[in-house]
Amino acid sequence: MNRKNILALSFATLFVAAMADPVMAYVLLSPRRRWPTTPVTVRVYNVGNSTISDGSGGVNATVSAIRAWGIISSSSTSSAAVRGSAPATIMLNSNGGGLCTGTCLAATLTGYYVSQAGDDRIYDADVYTNQSHQYYSSGEPGCSGEYDINGIMTHEVGHVIGIGHSNVSGATMFPSVSACNALPRSLEADDIAAKNDLY
Amino acid sequence: MHRRTLLSLGLLLLALALPMSASQFIRAPFDQVARESALIVRGTVEQTWSAWDDAHEVIFTYANVRVSRYFGEATGPDLLVVREAGGTVGDYTQEAIGFPAIRRGEQVVLFLSKWEDGADYRIHAFNQGKYLVRDRDGMEVLFEDPVKQGEARLAPGKIARENGAEDVMTIEEFAGMVEAARAGERVERPGPRSN
Repeated sequence: MNRKNILALSFATLFVAAMADPVMAYVLLSPRRRWPTTPVTVRVYNVGNSTISDGSGGVNATVSAIRAWGIISSSSTSSAAVRGSAPATIMLNSNGGGLCTGTCLAATLTGYYVSQAGDDRIYDADVYTNQSHQYYSSGEPGCSGEYDINGIMTHEVGHVIGIGHSNVSGATMFPSVSACNALPRSLEADDIAAKNDLY
Repeated sequence: MHRRTLLSLGLLLLALALPMSASQFIRAPFDQVARESALIVRGTVEQTWSAWDDAHEVIFTYANVRVSRYFGEATGPDLLVVREAGGTVGDYTQEAIGFPAIRRGEQVVLFLSKWEDGADYRIHAFNQGKYLVRDRDGMEVLFEDPVKQGEARLAPGKIARENGAEDVMTIEEFAGMVEAARAGERVERPGPRSN
């Protein structure tokens, strides 16, 4: 290979690397925002989802699953979500008054104040679940056309802490989900990089 | 290394670098969205305003949509109010992450259905129910809005969808698809999907 070819190949590689960067990179919610302190408190309403037959309706599984982020203090609660007021609350038994219906599996509603200096400040975030779909949890054996509540809620809590969708296939924050896919339960390097960018 | 080999290698790497797209919602077939919608309209977003609900828990954004055309058999008034979750009141912003946003001045085609309380219309099937309209060589073309709630700007790697030819359709193609769907045919959109 002569010097000209090497130069051309190097240039092409650099160009492609620059183009590839958006693909192999997380996306933060925009405008950039974060909770002011960690750990971030997330409560799971203790009335679970009726389609999950693990004994708690997915509540216990969700409490455990979302700790994968490493900055989440989670527990179950008897207090339902109050939108516009912290703490962040996950509702497995409510679509949020019609917010998450039809083709929606789960929805995160987040609120923040614009900061005059630095990142905007997340004040509240609540997660709702569409009860018209079927879910299963890590506490159940097998899966038959259901959606994995552990993975879905780990993904939604990514939104809760300020992360958007990733283009990295296999990442928890990848936007698509299919039935019986439990891969989003485990954070990938891209998810962790996003979290570390914010906190 | 041969120049052709270099070019092939470059093109392969470039292809691998193209952003993937998908939906965080379950993607419904076009004909299902068309059949489920109460109204399908071509319009202009005029005034928008945001306000807390009565319980002071959710900020909704309301939009006056001036309708210039109805698709399918259902018709309605020239001016519709569309309500979507999310918006800003004072210095507090609430967003339904990944949901469609509606902005003043947009030229749109919307699939609409009523909220559960029946008070206002909402965009049906979330991002699948909203298209932006652009004029291209005197012909209106439709493409999905690439900027959702939580994305105040185009995310890195995304391009304005009107620049991609495959998933853009003319408004008359769209009208034909709606007619076919309403007649009970199975209809899918051509080309790749935006997320």
